[in-house]
Amino acid sequence: MALQPINDPTCRAFERIDGSVGNALLRFVVGEDPAPRPMTSDEMRQELGDPFAALVLASGTSPTTADELLAAIDRATADDDSLRTERSFLVGEDSQLGIQSGEIESTNRSVRFLVARGSANHGPELIISASHPSGGLVEVMAWDTTNLGFNFYRTLRGGRGWVWAGNSRHAFGRPTRGKGPFESHPSGNLIMKELKFPWVHWDSFKVRISEQVFPEGDLRRQHRWFLEKSGAEICETAVVMPSIVRWTKVRFDQAASGVTALDPFLLVEHIVGCQTVNLASSSTESKAVTLGARVDLPPGFFTDVEGMAAVGLPGPPLFFIRPDMYLASLETFGFHLTDGEFSQAGDTHFAFVVPERAFEDNEVLRQALARGVVSPRLAATLLMVDFANPVFSSKRERLLQLVPRDPVAGVADISERIANSIVNASGAAPANSPERDFARRWDLGEDAWRDAFAAELTAYYGAIETQLGSQEGVDDYVRLAESRRNRVRDMPIFEFRLLFPETNLDRENVVMTSAGTVVESTP
Amino acid sequence: MTLTAFRPPGNLEEMSPESRETWDARIREFFDVSAQTFPSFYNPVGVGGEQMSHRVTWPAAPGRLLSTRMIPEQRWAAADADRNEQDEYCEWSVLRDDSGKIRRVTFTSEVSDYYDHLFDTDQDLLLHLYAKLSGQVVPIEALRDQHGIFVRDNVFNASTDGPIVHLSQRSNNLRAAITLAAEATVLREINGELLTHPQTLVRCGNLGDERRHSDPQIGAAVNGLVAGGSDVSLADPPGLYLDSLVAAGLETLDGTDPHDFWHVERGDSDHAVRASFEVPEELGYSVGDITIGGRTMDFGAQLAERVHVRIGALSRPSTTDSVEPRPCVS
Repeated sequence: MALQPINDPTCRAFERIDGSVGNALLRFVVGEDPAPRPMTSDEMRQELGDPFAALVLASGTSPTTADELLAAIDRATADDDSLRTERSFLVGEDSQLGIQSGEIESTNRSVRFLVARGSANHGPELIISASHPSGGLVEVMAWDTTNLGFNFYRTLRGGRGWVWAGNSRHAFGRPTRGKGPFESHPSGNLIMKELKFPWVHWDSFKVRISEQVFPEGDLRRQHRWFLEKSGAEICETAVVMPSIVRWTKVRFDQAASGVTALDPFLLVEHIVGCQTVNLASSSTESKAVTLGARVDLPPGFFTDVEGMAAVGLPGPPLFFIRPDMYLASLETFGFHLTDGEFSQAGDTHFAFVVPERAFEDNEVLRQALARGVVSPRLAATLLMVDFANPVFSSKRERLLQLVPRDPVAGVADISERIANSIVNASGAAPANSPERDFARRWDLGEDAWRDAFAAELTAYYGAIETQLGSQEGVDDYVRLAESRRNRVRDMPIFEFRLLFPETNLDRENVVMTSAGTVVESTP
Repeated sequence: MTLTAFRPPGNLEEMSPESRETWDARIREFFDVSAQTFPSFYNPVGVGGEQMSHRVTWPAAPGRLLSTRMIPEQRWAAADADRNEQDEYCEWSVLRDDSGKIRRVTFTSEVSDYYDHLFDTDQDLLLHLYAKLSGQVVPIEALRDQHGIFVRDNVFNASTDGPIVHLSQRSNNLRAAITLAAEATVLREINGELLTHPQTLVRCGNLGDERRHSDPQIGAAVNGLVAGGSDVSLADPPGLYLDSLVAAGLETLDGTDPHDFWHVERGDSDHAVRASFEVPEELGYSVGDITIGGRTMDFGAQLAERVHVRIGALSRPSTTDSVEPRPCVS
């Protein structure tokens, strides 16, 4: 069977596969395969060592729905098999809106389930994403115990077949990097954007998603995924974090054992780059602000809190916006939630949603420090360049181009090598360049960097407090938040308009300064 | 089946018949006082007909500290260091070895109301329990103040790294939980819009601290039941319970299922009020060697984030014609 080549590097490529191919499992690793093609039994045995492949696909079964898939797993396993252990979670950008007023039709809602199977302590073996147990697109990530990493699968549109879209390792292969599923999973990790408390948009103990998000009579209201769902707090700690830790550990283990070489560029990219983000928010419900609640601001808005903590530098205190100032800002900038038809004035359920450094980046840094691949001094010096912009820092990212790309055998300390490369380049760089900034900080030396950086951060936090004392300062931070949200709107993880509030602000690119002020970004 | 008397928390069987009787009377009074003030709240004793039970759960680690957004290590240290910070109807104590590594974490959700009752009705049992749970001989003088009143945070029950007997934090008591549930039966509105969001309800109805996990969860769950046409009460035996330990993400040195280290010490299987987490000595490692999400377990609060606390709500079809929402408490 020959299928047409598909020349589309994005994850939309899978929607263009002819779904009438029957029960076949197709291989289509975008960047590696010019066209989808059926996998042979030998290929499946060699490339797919996960329970979905072994227990379902290898037997010739081709489930068309998530319910069928899980039923096939159950048929293939004993009662006490850990794959029988199931946890379901619910997320929806519009899940807290319009329930009482009926302003959003239930059928329009973006609500979808995440279902995890397997009770291993290092995270689940099988993770399924589907909006409906009995229909629609099904996406699967399954841990490959032979080749390691997650295998990415999805159903074919309108057909009975499945496509294998690659393994986590393809996230780093030159021809496949950033393509297909690795457009939105840049490190081959499981993604939960709203990873942390209070998990805006997710069902959690902080706010439950009502059955009314489903139409009257919809079977999802009575499905076990809904009735027995767990909160996002469980998803964070029992599913997503362990899965990210697991894959990150494999990456370092493989480098240590010589299976792969350590690429300094890919490592430093996690420290200075911004391939993906997590979304953080205030823990304050925006409606509670009208009753006088202050808006606590997510610390990750101001600096890379966890990165700084990993190298022993102080994080910010908890900052608040006064309720009257927050409400005035919403009014000034015309905050509203809309999906194009529905519209409601105000902010998201939990206020002030902004991107922050991704957990997967911080986990790489944490493991790199623990294994002595980078020194705290190097990590801190990199993080301190443009430290007031923890995400989307073009200055910090520019340093990436100076990182040597020669692979390193084992997991030796590469700090001096990277630092020397940047310092050497700084001589020819302009006075206010990130290279010069890095060199100046590096020159502080092993004994002085920590105190100097801590003093700089403390002064910055003091300046923020001052800014938050005025409406103008608050408005500037609201503009900065919107500017960063606009960057996320350009990323593949932005799938629904209701992910963020919309405003009357023109699209602008503003950045934070180390003085706590907000200014236009300069090239 | 119609409830005839309140059982002790955890279905504990240790009280004498006389103490049980007076316990029932004590708790009935709590319910009756609230039911008189709040028409949608009822005392379930003697109530027949259809009633449904609902589990309301939240994590044991303090929500107020989570809201401060301190980095995790700071937050965990702060929670471990002060029982007054442990205000989610669950408190714990961390036992360490000489090197500072965690050996055992003991959690309790036992309400002080129970021990206060024993102080009034059966001091022999009170002292027996104190000796058993604290591992020390406890004189009755140590448990009362100069006015002869039971002191819940006495020296044998105030430790964060030693003996722990029952809840001691000011807000962690059964009477407060019953009152909160009763007050939460009042529907609230602003400008004609019925409030449903947990924090907003807490703030509007003055239902405790919106930053805690427990108050908004109890408040929203109860309020939602009333909005759906029910009267609400609390299930028997009234109490706060250790609902579950979420062990996924915990890695042990030898692959042993971490659930094996969780031992319910008081309460029946569905009503645990005291539990500990400890690795058996013969396995040759300790709790401090276990990792959570790749990080070693250095704080009891890391585990507390995975322990869920529960209260049982009860509902029946509303007996009042209509429940009118009220404006916010000024």
